[in-house]
Amino acid sequence: MASIRTYLQSTIMSKVIMALSGLAVIGFLLAHLAGNLLVFGGPEAINKYGQGLRDLGGLLWVLRGGIVVAFIAHIFTSIHLKQRNASARKVSYANTQPVNSTFASRTMLISGLSILIYLLFHLSHFTWGMVSTKSFNGSYILQDGRIVHDVYAMVVADFQNPIISIVYIVAVTLVMFHTTHAFSSAFQTLGINHPSYNGLIKKAGLGIAILFWIGYVSIPVAILGQFVK
Amino acid sequence: MKLKLHIWRQKNAATSGKMTSYEMDNVSPDMSFLEMLDVLNEKIIERGEEPVAFEHDCREGICGSCGMMINGMAHGPEKLTTTCQLHMRKFNDGDEITIEPWRAEAFPVIKDLVVDRSSFDRIIASGGYVNVNTGGVPDANAIPIGKKVADYAFNAAACIGCGACVAACPNASAMLFTSAKISHLGSLPQGQVERMDRVINMVSTMDNEGFGGCTNHLECEAACPKGISAEYIAQMNRDMMKATFTVR
Ligand code: HEM
Ligand code: FES
Repeated sequence: MASIRTYLQSTIMSKVIMALSGLAVIGFLLAHLAGNLLVFGGPEAINKYGQGLRDLGGLLWVLRGGIVVAFIAHIFTSIHLKQRNASARKVSYANTQPVNSTFASRTMLISGLSILIYLLFHLSHFTWGMVSTKSFNGSYILQDGRIVHDVYAMVVADFQNPIISIVYIVAVTLVMFHTTHAFSSAFQTLGINHPSYNGLIKKAGLGIAILFWIGYVSIPVAILGQFVK
Repeated sequence: MKLKLHIWRQKNAATSGKMTSYEMDNVSPDMSFLEMLDVLNEKIIERGEEPVAFEHDCREGICGSCGMMINGMAHGPEKLTTTCQLHMRKFNDGDEITIEPWRAEAFPVIKDLVVDRSSFDRIIASGGYVNVNTGGVPDANAIPIGKKVADYAFNAAACIGCGACVAACPNASAMLFTSAKISHLGSLPQGQVERMDRVINMVSTMDNEGFGGCTNHLECEAACPKGISAEYIAQMNRDMMKATFTVR
């Protein structure tokens, strides 16, 4: 018998790693969305939340480490499996008629890699402050007197730039597409398939994908439309 | 009916092939697809050319040998049907039909529309069996099995190994086939002894034969002439997860 390591490299177990890491990223995106929506609560709400995250200290680094590991695992397994799958059919058909597959399911690697490129821009923008240093370095005085990073002013100032907003909306749209296939697919990969709840999983995946789109897109739209200033 | 056929012609495994077009007149809507090809071959033979090679045996939808890609769909446009059970009434006068062999590195083309599916045999040989004591044949009902379990196992056992799942899958994955074989035995009491070894061995043979992985497009389910559900793939995944951490 070979070792666990060999088994983990099998098509099935690689896909299991991809599903677990992808679900972790979906969980992260749900939490991230809940935090971001505090922008509608005004500067005090979101800046206090931002400071609250920083106050987690070591725990924040554990969470950050976890999400980075999930992303890396997800990207590596996706590329490893894509290579396998591409080499399983080298001569393609003159004619193929898709029946059950969807646009989203056939473009997962493209949507995923585009999200990755956007993610690097997003981090250098809002996390590392390499895109707009001026708005990144603002500070805000909380009601309790603490001086904290002014997340609110940064977000509002930067999304007033239509290019930043449009690129963001495109990226969120790709996340939506990716999620429509990803969520139910992950359950199937993890062996969670039963006629009595498959419909529910499908609907939940669609619901989360739409929630991501409406939730994340509402922020730049509100800022561009001057509802949030 | 008048038809224009575009058929993949390839002399043997060593040469490269190409699509060749043939005109057909007077095709009866009552012919099966294979009978239509028989008529075409008679004409080709009369012209002194090499007939189109295609595989067939039972011609009643149970042996699984008549696989071919018809207009981009495994076994053609009719659901739950093998090529031999597909009839020309499914097509219209004047149609153009493309006919190609299964495409997968694990199914190399032998000639024209005939591919080598022995990779499936090797998957079966690596675990698609149960060990039983020699001696007298055991009574059929010696081990009671509930109706639901029997049905579930039987639906998986309906697989005829035709390869349509591989052909239809964008990744040329053999997971529907392999999972049907694994789940058919793994659902029954007789299959428990080797259950964990079976999934490990059959999955690794499947991977080593060069089939792709599952990305849950579920094209296999749509193409399967026996209507086998991707539920069995989920069961295989569960068994594989368990086996990865428990097998000795
Ligand atoms: C960072 C770049 C990303 C890349 C390169 C990528 C790539 C992929 C690919 C190729 C698949 C396989 C699709 C398939 O099986 O058909 C996939 C599945 C998945 N992705 Fe991503 N993705 C990325 C980001 C994301 C994000 C942001 C999320 C969260 C919304 C996510 C969640 C998932 C989930 C849950 C699956 C399902 C796994 C399964 O089918 O079992 N991915 N990803
Ligand atoms: S010839 Fe046997 S299934 Fe078609």
